[in-house]
Amino acid sequence: MQKYDKMEKIGEGTYGTVFKGRNRDTMEIVALKRVRLDEDDEGVPSSALREICLLKELKHKNIVRLIDVLHSDKKLTLVFEHCDQDLKKYFDSLNGEIDMAVCRSFMLQLLRGLAFCHSHNVLHRDLKPQNLLINKNGELKLADFGLARAFGIPVKCYSAEVVTLWYRPPDVLFGAKLYTTSIDMWSAGCILAELADAGRPLFPGSDVLDQLMKIFRVLGTPNEDSWPGVSHLSDYVALPSFPAITSWSQLVPRLNSKGRDLLQKLLVCRPNQRISAEAAMQHPYFTDSTSSGH
Amino acid sequence: MAGNFWQSSHSQQWILDKQDLLRERQHDLLSLNEDEYQKVFIFFANVIQVLGEQLKLRQQVIATATVYFKRFYARNSLKNIDPLLLAPTCILLASKVEEFGVISNSRLISICQSAIKTKFSYAYTQEFPYRTNHILECEFYLLENLDCCLIVYQPYRPLLQLVQDMGQEDQLLTLSWRIVNDSLRTDVCLLYPPYQIAIACLQIACVILQKDSTKQWFAELNVDLDKVQEIVRAIVNLYEMWKDWKEKDEIQMLLSKIPKPKPPPQR
Repeated sequence: MQKYDKMEKIGEGTYGTVFKGRNRDTMEIVALKRVRLDEDDEGVPSSALREICLLKELKHKNIVRLIDVLHSDKKLTLVFEHCDQDLKKYFDSLNGEIDMAVCRSFMLQLLRGLAFCHSHNVLHRDLKPQNLLINKNGELKLADFGLARAFGIPVKCYSAEVVTLWYRPPDVLFGAKLYTTSIDMWSAGCILAELADAGRPLFPGSDVLDQLMKIFRVLGTPNEDSWPGVSHLSDYVALPSFPAITSWSQLVPRLNSKGRDLLQKLLVCRPNQRISAEAAMQHPYFTDSTSSGH
Repeated sequence: MAGNFWQSSHSQQWILDKQDLLRERQHDLLSLNEDEYQKVFIFFANVIQVLGEQLKLRQQVIATATVYFKRFYARNSLKNIDPLLLAPTCILLASKVEEFGVISNSRLISICQSAIKTKFSYAYTQEFPYRTNHILECEFYLLENLDCCLIVYQPYRPLLQLVQDMGQEDQLLTLSWRIVNDSLRTDVCLLYPPYQIAIACLQIACVILQKDSTKQWFAELNVDLDKVQEIVRAIVNLYEMWKDWKEKDEIQMLLSKIPKPKPPPQR
């Protein structure tokens, strides 16, 4: 008795393969995430459990919905609502042009999903276009919570190396071990710039050093004055002291001045100075009545 | 995940109704009376506690495992899965969810084997019969029967806040903390929200320590006092039962009365 028909493969997640599927009764299209059960004796992988228990608690229209968890002979399948594509694929379909109203709508939805996670003490920690799903109605949903983790329980030291390099904030690149919601806000900033530029990543670094250099060439190299404590971070390296760029309109020419202002509040090297998701949602970029969009 | 309790799966799906709970137990109550049923669960709460201590787990993890165990049997007869298999499975799952770090299965099994031999030989004359594959299969059933609701709110955190708010000393916290541990041997974790349980445990502790001056403080709490009294009664009943319960003498007889699943696995 199978409830879902398996269709084509959609992609690879953190801990298993994702297929498109169809509910045999309702014909609803879903995403089936097969959890690999490794040979070692851990049982259901912690990353899958983390995703299951967080999504069971986080119900929001900008967070992907977990519909069901199925198990059959040594396989575990997570059933998610299906979205047509992820933001990365959406970018690929754009041919370098994006409607700025769409950019703004996606960004607002990203912030709404994030604000909800953060209000429930959940960090996503791995935001990137591949983890943002888009459906036909232009709705954006946060997905892939395999690395997410609740931070209410006092676990002091989070494991390093969790965010894809391009969306990783300088504090994490310098080896900061105590993560806060600010980690996601940096990634959100990178995604805003990428949205405004129709999918060209803002800081496509090739390794940690290159990543830091790309960031500091834009924002200026931080020092003990601009960011007290930076030189004490465990992986801190002294880098050439670049000045901050003066004109953000060259960096993201299509973004209007309010959008650039929001971007500058997200892309702040010193983590505790970054704007929160809640505050970012209230930014004039989203309330400006002269622009189109909702 | 210390979010809002009222929006949690715990609050929305796992605060059960007493009548429903009794109805689900009807089948098992053909073989055991209510007292005996509770005694079986006291025994297995002790098994989980001992396994957890041997694995050096935090009390939070042990409490979560115990709640999983109780939730499972709130929807299932004891004959569906041998509680001796479900107990370590709950520990495995809780330790992953509470991010304690993964316990290796082989270690879990060897701890079960030695605990059965040394601590619970009065209950089991045979060796621990289960292996890794049984526990991993059981984990699936557990996950499914919990409807994947894995985040459990415990009374410990609200208790800390209450004691702090009361301005009382460590002695009161230590005692009420132990009463919260004991409350896992009753059904209150299935029936009431954790902050009400915390208040009830604190109240019992104040009575034991004769802290009459705290009466006013309780009276000013914004809480359903009837519910708190129901919890107090359940815990006091537990202590009454404990007084003349000779677990070592009686548990074998009780375990033999539990409705049984298929024959235990071959070794």
